[in-house]
Amino acid sequence: MLIHRPDGAVATPPALLAPSPTVLSGRRIGLLDNRKPNADVLLEHLAERLVERTGATVVRTETKNAAIPCDDQVLGLLAEEVDVILTGTAD
Amino acid sequence: MIVDIPADADLVAEMAAHGWGDGLPLVAPTPERVEAMLAGSPHTDPDEVIAVLAPRFGEATRRILAVNAVMAGCLPVHLPVLEAAVRALARPELNLRGVNATTHCVAPLLVVHGEVARTGGYHGGLGAFGPGNRANATTGRALRLVLLHVAGATIGDGDASTQGGPAKYGYCVAENVEASPWPAYPTTVGVDAPSAVTVHCGEAPHNVHDMESDDPARILDKVASAMATTAQNNACISQGEYLVALCPEHAATCAEAGWSRRDVASYLFQKARLPAAELKRAFALRAWEPWMERLGDDDPAPMTAHPDNIRILVVGGAGKHSSVIPSWGMTRSVTVPVTLSVNPEDQPKGGEPAC
Repeated sequence: MLIHRPDGAVATPPALLAPSPTVLSGRRIGLLDNRKPNADVLLEHLAERLVERTGATVVRTETKNAAIPCDDQVLGLLAEEVDVILTGTAD
Repeated sequence: MIVDIPADADLVAEMAAHGWGDGLPLVAPTPERVEAMLAGSPHTDPDEVIAVLAPRFGEATRRILAVNAVMAGCLPVHLPVLEAAVRALARPELNLRGVNATTHCVAPLLVVHGEVARTGGYHGGLGAFGPGNRANATTGRALRLVLLHVAGATIGDGDASTQGGPAKYGYCVAENVEASPWPAYPTTVGVDAPSAVTVHCGEAPHNVHDMESDDPARILDKVASAMATTAQNNACISQGEYLVALCPEHAATCAEAGWSRRDVASYLFQKARLPAAELKRAFALRAWEPWMERLGDDDPAPMTAHPDNIRILVVGGAGKHSSVIPSWGMTRSVTVPVTLSVNPEDQPKGGEPAC
């Protein structure tokens, strides 16, 4: 029996992730806290470890709310000032 | 795209193997059935992309909508309603990505208004939120299938809902405008069209019963009580909306006392409040308007930042039960016309909001 697939095509994504750097030493790392409870704890812990191990510098930013996209202003700041962004979601 | 499955296959199992379906029996979307469904659309291009739906970024073409409508058991007359609902889902203020991805139990409630509610057989009377009506049941289900298949709102992947919810199977009702003392709901949001749909992303209805009151205030105080709770997202998100579905008898009591729809919303805005300290204690993380953050601990804080966020319409039949449907919070309801004809003389026009 012939039937149609119900899912259809996928559109071109609006943005793609940049390739990850192979070495973090000396890089500038941005922390993007989405303000979910405990996301800040996780990110801060990761940042401390990375600074210790790689000498990276850290820029801290946050979104207004986890439920909505990050402000363009914050993303613009990160695009200018950091090489890598760490973000996460948690409850 | 067309796939070939064994003629004697268990369709539900076959679909589930691909990650498709909602667990209930499905109608096979054969090419013949899909073509018949497409005949319900006034448009001639079945491959026009109506919307791109997050988080999968799936392209919702008219044909794909027809496939899902067939699977859900819709009739061709329901396809324009589904198309309008998908257009509403894709509006940025609805925030579909968040609605689909959240751990909350939110589901899009589809409310059908006007001429198409009558011609399509949609039900807004007795037991309207319940089972027994094909149009409500299948169009609501088709919208969910579109979310599962096209938007990618599958459990654990594009849908992180902690407990899920029954409204995620299907959530569709008609406005009972015949029993409403006020103008049709779409006119209150500037949509003056013979047919329209509203999509409100919220919880399942919370019942409010009042068998004895003959004045609006006593009825609406109970509605306000259902709104004023910390057990909902709107309590920490001040842009959150409430859809208040008044039964005809409660609405009549309000209207006979001279209350307009706006009067009802304003009253609920004033009455649905909790001490600011209680809300702040419940939610350290809030998305409140700045003026609400400045309220003193003993000040009564409203459950939403503006009376316009309290949306009133009439649903149901005889009896004295109304319901409150809090939104997910970071979403806005959307009302759009339903296109039943592509004749320019039949096109809907904009209009001033009515009270």
